[in-house]
Amino acid sequence: MKHINTIYRLFLLFAIISVLGGCTEEISFKTENLESALVIEATITNEIKNHEILLSRTYKFEADGPIPEENATVVMVSESGTFNFTENESGKYVSTQSFSAQPGLDYVLKISTANGESYSSKPTRLTTTTDIGDLYAERRTNDTEEDGVSIFVDTYDPTGTSQYYRFEYEESYKVVAPKWRANDLVVIDPEWPACSVELVPKTDERRVCFATDTSNTLILGTTANLEEDRLSRFEVRRVNTDNYIIGHRYSILVRQYVQSNEAFSYFSNLQEFSESESLFSQVQPGFFSGNISSETNSEDKVIGFFELTYVSEKRIFFNYNDLFPGVDQPPYVSPCFEFAPVRDQGHPTDECGLLITALLNNEISYWMENPEPESIETGPYLMVPIVCGDCTELGSNVAPDFWVEE
Amino acid sequence: MMRETLKLIGLILLLLISQYSKAQEIEEKITISFTDELATEALLKIESTTNYRFYYVEDWLGENRFSGTYSNATITDILDDLFNETVINYYLLNGTKVILTRNNIIYDQLPEGFFEEAPVLPEESEDISPVTTNPVFTTAQKRKEVIPTRTFRIGKEDGNSNKKSFKLKGFVTDNDTNAPIDNVSIIRKGTGRGTTTDDKGYYEIILPAGENMLELRSLGFTGSENRVVIYNDGSLNFLLTESLEQLDAVLIDAKAESNVEDATTGTTVIDVKKIKNIPLVLGERDILKVATTLPGIANAGEGSAGFNVRGGNADQNLFLLDDAVIYNPSHFFGIFSGINPFTTGGVTIYKGNIPAEYGGRLSSVFDLTTKDANASEFAGEASIGPVTSSLALEIPIEKDKAALLVGGRSTYSDWILRSLDDEALKNSQANFYDIVVKYNHKLGEDDQLKATGYYSKDNFSITSDSIFKYSNRAASLRWDHQFNDKHNGSVILANSQYKFNIDFDGDANNDFDLGYDITETELKLKMGYNHSEAHKFDYGISTKLYNSNPGSISPINNSIVVPVDIASERALESAIFISDEFTVSDRLLLSAGFRFSTFTALGSAFQNIYADGLPKNEGTFIESQEFGNNEAIKTYTGPEFRLSSRYFLDEALSVKASYNNTYQYIHTLTNNTTISPTDTWKLSDLNIEPQRAQQYSLGLYKNLKENEFELSLEGYYKTAENILDFKTGAQLLLNENIEREVLQGEGQAYGVEFLLRKSKGRLNGWFGYTYSRSLIKFESDFSEETINNGDYFPSNFDKPHDLSLVANYKLTQRFSLSANFVYQTGRPVTVPVGNFVINNSEFVLYSDRNEFRIPDYYRLDISLNVEGNHKIKKLAHSFWNLSIYNVLGRNNPYSVFFVNEDGQVKAFQSSIFAIPIPTITYNFQF
Repeated sequence: MKHINTIYRLFLLFAIISVLGGCTEEISFKTENLESALVIEATITNEIKNHEILLSRTYKFEADGPIPEENATVVMVSESGTFNFTENESGKYVSTQSFSAQPGLDYVLKISTANGESYSSKPTRLTTTTDIGDLYAERRTNDTEEDGVSIFVDTYDPTGTSQYYRFEYEESYKVVAPKWRANDLVVIDPEWPACSVELVPKTDERRVCFATDTSNTLILGTTANLEEDRLSRFEVRRVNTDNYIIGHRYSILVRQYVQSNEAFSYFSNLQEFSESESLFSQVQPGFFSGNISSETNSEDKVIGFFELTYVSEKRIFFNYNDLFPGVDQPPYVSPCFEFAPVRDQGHPTDECGLLITALLNNEISYWMENPEPESIETGPYLMVPIVCGDCTELGSNVAPDFWVEE
Repeated sequence: MMRETLKLIGLILLLLISQYSKAQEIEEKITISFTDELATEALLKIESTTNYRFYYVEDWLGENRFSGTYSNATITDILDDLFNETVINYYLLNGTKVILTRNNIIYDQLPEGFFEEAPVLPEESEDISPVTTNPVFTTAQKRKEVIPTRTFRIGKEDGNSNKKSFKLKGFVTDNDTNAPIDNVSIIRKGTGRGTTTDDKGYYEIILPAGENMLELRSLGFTGSENRVVIYNDGSLNFLLTESLEQLDAVLIDAKAESNVEDATTGTTVIDVKKIKNIPLVLGERDILKVATTLPGIANAGEGSAGFNVRGGNADQNLFLLDDAVIYNPSHFFGIFSGINPFTTGGVTIYKGNIPAEYGGRLSSVFDLTTKDANASEFAGEASIGPVTSSLALEIPIEKDKAALLVGGRSTYSDWILRSLDDEALKNSQANFYDIVVKYNHKLGEDDQLKATGYYSKDNFSITSDSIFKYSNRAASLRWDHQFNDKHNGSVILANSQYKFNIDFDGDANNDFDLGYDITETELKLKMGYNHSEAHKFDYGISTKLYNSNPGSISPINNSIVVPVDIASERALESAIFISDEFTVSDRLLLSAGFRFSTFTALGSAFQNIYADGLPKNEGTFIESQEFGNNEAIKTYTGPEFRLSSRYFLDEALSVKASYNNTYQYIHTLTNNTTISPTDTWKLSDLNIEPQRAQQYSLGLYKNLKENEFELSLEGYYKTAENILDFKTGAQLLLNENIEREVLQGEGQAYGVEFLLRKSKGRLNGWFGYTYSRSLIKFESDFSEETINNGDYFPSNFDKPHDLSLVANYKLTQRFSLSANFVYQTGRPVTVPVGNFVINNSEFVLYSDRNEFRIPDYYRLDISLNVEGNHKIKKLAHSFWNLSIYNVLGRNNPYSVFFVNEDGQVKAFQSSIFAIPIPTITYNFQF
């Protein structure tokens, strides 16, 4: 009944803040006593490939990111054999052979770290083979009356044994630089008093690009409380019409992982403890263990869940105009103001102007000749932020392999 | 006029010594008019047009203004009006001399009906002469309240009797309303011993033959001193007049003397009338919020429902409204209390020694009583505040016998929400209301019937797809009967229900309707037996039936949500109890109580059986055992001792000690750090054992300056077993195997509470400081049942330092200023000990619970109170309160939490009232 709690907490959060003069503010927090724990990301699927296991250690709140756990020994043992993993980059352990997880077999993950600790998982099996059902995009107004698109999944397992699902997505979208010109302005001589620039034709694609982002939150769905194992209109992604990423053509690949009950409750605990809290009642947080434990020290905390999960994926495309006919394009990522930076500051500064330094730093892009005459106060060209004339700032100028137009 | 004081004293003396008679034969007729004049001006005016001369102290007359027109009126007509609602009495001497006195009446005859049905009448009235035993009229005297003394002779002397002591009994009633006054202390002066009236105003006292000085004192009433010369058993009724002086002078009072006199430790009494000057939050006068300014009673933070009494959990308090349990006495998640301040008479909070008649909760009893409606006159009170409005009416049904009290309160927060310029909030609703109805009927001299009904409801819908509701219902019926001088009894029938409901109507196929409810019905017989002056027994029996529907969910709107209905639970909780107040000597009072409670979980039900000595989980599950309808699943019994004693070290200094143990058979299921309305109550069963607690306390109590200052210092040590906690991330709602999530552990709490209270004078209020700790421990051989390595750790409400100051300063008769300052150590919270990344998303690792504290809490509130003017015969009496809550604008953090936003964890802190909140409330009584 996770969703009940979520709903309840959400509305609590809203309720009182503005009404009663309460406030929620971000604070700076520092981890005082870091507890170093091994973090294991081990999701083995039914895909035939070299599977990866990531090992890292917890880090301080104020630190940049995880500390990779190096020089560990990672093996996965099953009735059908032993799979070895070798570290091919820091903290990333890849199976030496290509394989797929087989149903009906018990797999155990064993890890020994460089400091002599050893860890093992409970025997785990591959989950039910249920493919992702329909994936579709729908124009919808959300609770706060904002227009946008929701990406929904419908999945049905007639055997009723899947029940727990986790989703990941990878979204790709076309970006069109709104103030692209065939010519680039390049610096010929950055030294004063030359400060010379020149227009040269662009040699590669800078107008249309393709960007790809991956999901960075846990997306969990369950049918456990439903009469049949039918996930219906499950929203995996929501994009409002003020987001430029859906402005032209958009594609989303949704990967559906069928989870075990234990894996699902592990992940939903993770999710629950990282969601908005209500003002009035806070869920008691604490440590909860997954299915991996230390063999050398039972008090040792181990983070992560070793799962063998059946994965399937689907991709859809849509154009903005298909979903939002007659609706204004979303605003571009930048307002793209035009301005004329000074080329030559003249006497007594005796230095080149902002135009030269910004061009050298790749911060601006050529738009047109300045109709005003050049002076020490205004430059000879109207320029725009680089992202407005060069889409490679946002993505790649090569369409991904899977990309299809219309 | 001061120069006349001496003359006045002379006159009084003369009056006391000489024979006199009331000279009413030649009353002068007066024609006069006053417009908004001070009493002194009015008197001068009378003096200038008539032969009457007044003798008084100018200071007594105050600043009340007076208007009126009289033609051919008698002096008494005018003076009656002039001094109505004041403490001034007058006496006509020799026809034209008028002596004004403060409080005391110079009696020359007894009031009519004074001896109602007295079997043995006092001797002829000539013998009853006014006597003053102390120099009443010295202006130098500091004590403001002067007590009139009367002499009564009881019984005819029986020469054949050799009895040394006699019994005096009777009723104490309100002079104006005839309503009985309870808790009036009747003390034999010089001995410190005496009795108090019961809730029917009845008292009995054994007096030695001969002359006795009886002192009557009660909160809100002018005290009286009476010389009783007793020759035989007899009865004597007293009338007390409401003391207007007290109305705003005393904020809160646990019957001044009872501080040092009672045997019980840790008892707090709050009288609603006395808290009206305390600064308000959002205009609500809140008796339970006031309680948290007293030592030993705390909540987890502002805006959190539930109270933590002496380090106990929020589910360990028994809230009784006229004997019926209220499960969730709060509105709006705890911002407002569910108790209507206008219908509530007062609350007695037992946080130390709980009387034997109460049981079923470990930490405290909040005994809330609804006012008895005024049976002689229609009255009402209304209040208009920024969030709620309320109305209370007192309706006489049968003159002086039966009356009805109706009170209601409701918000207009829906309107506030709708007027907000925020889409998300515009479509939301949040409202609550509560209603109280009480009927009291005096069936005869010995019988009284009271019936109370209460209902409160909260409604919320903040997102467009869900509605959340919760409600409390309570009803009680009580019949009090006085069998004879020694025996009295009460039969009480009470029924209560708490329920909540969530309707979810979303976009997909999972719309549902979720519900929870618990109902209890109790029958209780309570008897009182005044065996002798030394022994007073209370005894009785009670039995309670619980019915709980722990949760159900059903699909709505063609959704495919599986209907789940967790099997209902039933149980019977019964108790017998007896207690004795044993006056061992003048100095030593013992109060010994014993309660034997039993609890039986009843079928029909399935109960899971688990392997012995192992954690309860799927792996250790053996079988599910079926129990038939009304079959006993499991019976728990608990002997409970409630022992306390008081010893007078000197007249105003006492030491008290107590021991107390309690059992609790019903538990809240919550995995929130503070109480929440979706918490459910679970009855003990095969797998969940009752909670137990023991408390030892020791205290010193001292009253100074004629009870002007009350001082108490009390320490306690408390242990608890089988208190509940839950596994991390446990799902408690709609869980069929809840015992797999429950941990039962130990608790330990100790503290020292200091309270200084000044209840009289222009400046009054109290200062309280508590040092306390509340620790819990969950230790097991199995890591899944262990928290913080099985060591003691601070509970969620462990706030070692807690200081509060409540002060009220009376500027004039009409204006007063109040302030309220609170300081508390920040409460413990669990914070991360590290971050990690899984699936491209950042999370935090939580480890040991409650290792960190949020910043300390402090807050200052101020308020200005304006009484409507004291014009006589005005339609309504009004009262304005202007409050600023959190004047300092202190951003007191309520919680700290860590949220994943766009793949990254951020730390947030929330507070509820981060800015000063001004409110204005208007009350009027009619």
